[in-house]
Amino acid sequence: MDTAHPDVLRLAGVHKTYRLGTHEVRALQGVDLSLRAGEMLALTGPSGSGKSTLLHIAGLIDRADAGELRLRGQDVTALPEVQATRLRRDAIGFVFQGFNLVPVMTVWDNVDYALFIAGVPVPQRRQRVQAMLDAVGLAAHAGHRPDALSGGQRQRVAIARALVKQPALVIADEPTANLDSHTADQVLDLMREQGRMQGAAFLIATHDDRLLARCDRVLRLLDGCIQGDRQPFLTRSAA
Amino acid sequence: MTRWPWLRFAAANTLRNRRRSAVTVGIAALGTAAILLAGGFALFTYQSLAEAAARTTGHLIVAKPEQFLRDEDVPLQHGLDDAAALQAALRADPRVRQVLPRVEFSGLISNGDKSTVMVAAGIDPDAEFAVKGPFLKITAGRVLASGQQAQVMLGEGLARSLKAAPGSGLTVLASTTEGALNALDVTVVGVFSTGVPDIDQRLVYADIRTAQQLLVTQRVSSLGVFLDRMAATADAQARVQQQWPQLKVQSWVDQAFFYRGVRDLYNRIFGALGLIIGLIVVVVVTNAMAMAVIERTREVGTLRALGTLPGQLVRSFALEGLLLGGVGTALGAGLALAVTLALLVFPVQMPPPPGRSEGYPLQIALDGGLYGFTLLAMVLLAGAASALVARRTVARPVVDALAHV
Repeated sequence: MDTAHPDVLRLAGVHKTYRLGTHEVRALQGVDLSLRAGEMLALTGPSGSGKSTLLHIAGLIDRADAGELRLRGQDVTALPEVQATRLRRDAIGFVFQGFNLVPVMTVWDNVDYALFIAGVPVPQRRQRVQAMLDAVGLAAHAGHRPDALSGGQRQRVAIARALVKQPALVIADEPTANLDSHTADQVLDLMREQGRMQGAAFLIATHDDRLLARCDRVLRLLDGCIQGDRQPFLTRSAA
Repeated sequence: MTRWPWLRFAAANTLRNRRRSAVTVGIAALGTAAILLAGGFALFTYQSLAEAAARTTGHLIVAKPEQFLRDEDVPLQHGLDDAAALQAALRADPRVRQVLPRVEFSGLISNGDKSTVMVAAGIDPDAEFAVKGPFLKITAGRVLASGQQAQVMLGEGLARSLKAAPGSGLTVLASTTEGALNALDVTVVGVFSTGVPDIDQRLVYADIRTAQQLLVTQRVSSLGVFLDRMAATADAQARVQQQWPQLKVQSWVDQAFFYRGVRDLYNRIFGALGLIIGLIVVVVVTNAMAMAVIERTREVGTLRALGTLPGQLVRSFALEGLLLGGVGTALGAGLALAVTLALLVFPVQMPPPPGRSEGYPLQIALDGGLYGFTLLAMVLLAGAASALVARRTVARPVVDALAHV
């Protein structure tokens, strides 16, 4: 293990099978994966290859049938639901394809919510939310509701909500799928920049080639198995 | 969300579907108003009947135990001797306002051509009317006066039957305390109505001396004790009973069969009505919240993924129910209050109840306990119903909730 960049996430031999009536779908078949602090790892593969399942298990919102899951070195494979919820609250950020912002909350409240449920004191919350909104360039929209924002702005709010609690791991499911190319680039830059500043590890499911090119590593999944682990072209060139 | 975050979140959520929330609040308001008005009407009826009952008999009725337990073979068989001394002793109690003697007997009353059965009460007219106020409606003539013997007042049905009017001469016949038959010529000074036709067909009021002269006795049937306030009844009853253990002291409630009957009936009717209305309100709130919860399943999944505990979300939904129920019941209470006050300004007369000849004004009692209990119950039920419907969705696996369309 690289001691300068310890593993934030480690999956070993993870299996997951869904049963649809009498039909069984093997979503994951012995997946091994490790993700270091500050690393941005992309999961790609065709629909049904197991990307979302892997994200759900890594994000502690679903359970593996077999295998081991460690987060920051802690075995969280069979963590009780309440403890898993607390761990998500404190250590994991989520960025969804459809943004999933709360429509009745303002931009400020959506970002603040992540800190509020974690019990962060109000003065710290104010400071961190303000800093995060400044960082994603939405301070001027703090009082707006999500429906008053563009798609790119909404995804920036979602990124701010995920990063404001300074998580160890950010799970992002097709974060650029609903964005035009220019906006997608901005969102990617933002994720990279903020992720690096905070040392957060990113696990991203995507079909977006530009996003794949900017990640540190790309894992290709097929039928629930990892088919390849490579450094994308852009990252290799930069190195 | 720095101040009252959950409350603000719940309040914002209630405004997502304004029309649905408005309907829910409206039904909660109408239901609450209906319960408060029906309950207030029942309470006003109880108060009125209680006051009427206590005014008729006195707050306490003091007599020999046999007077309450057995029928008499001859008039005043179980009557009180030396009632004047007992009356004076009872008046010494600081809570006692007046003590009224009463002689109850039955007999015949005749105009010479026609005789009919009467139920008579010998009273101390001056004290009786002073204490009770205008408890009888005088339809002809005047009220009796103390010390004027051989004078009577007749119920209007009886007066009509005997073709009697003020100034008419009649003869009353009754058994004496010795069992002999005695007759007395009397003059009618007034005709009254109690509002109950069956009673007005039979009832005769006479001065107590006239009654005792007819029955050839100094006894009285009972003493009616009038207190300075209703609430003092139980304590005074215990005190008087302890002081005169050989006598039996009943409260007005024991004698108020009509009051008890109406209260039991109304408690059942209005209790069932309240339950039904409460149930309707709970069902409406539950339905509204169930729709809200289903619509927000995906959001529930998001909030759970972000680390919100299930209990926090259930409480948030319960708070929404509390707010809808709270606003609805507050509006309902306001509506009930407005109707109650409007009835004082614009009186509405109710038709006579069965067995009565006179109607009564429709009034609604304003009772803090009724308002407090109803509002609290409605709000808590709304909150509990909301929590109940939210529990299932909140407990769904996060992945399923996120995939909800």
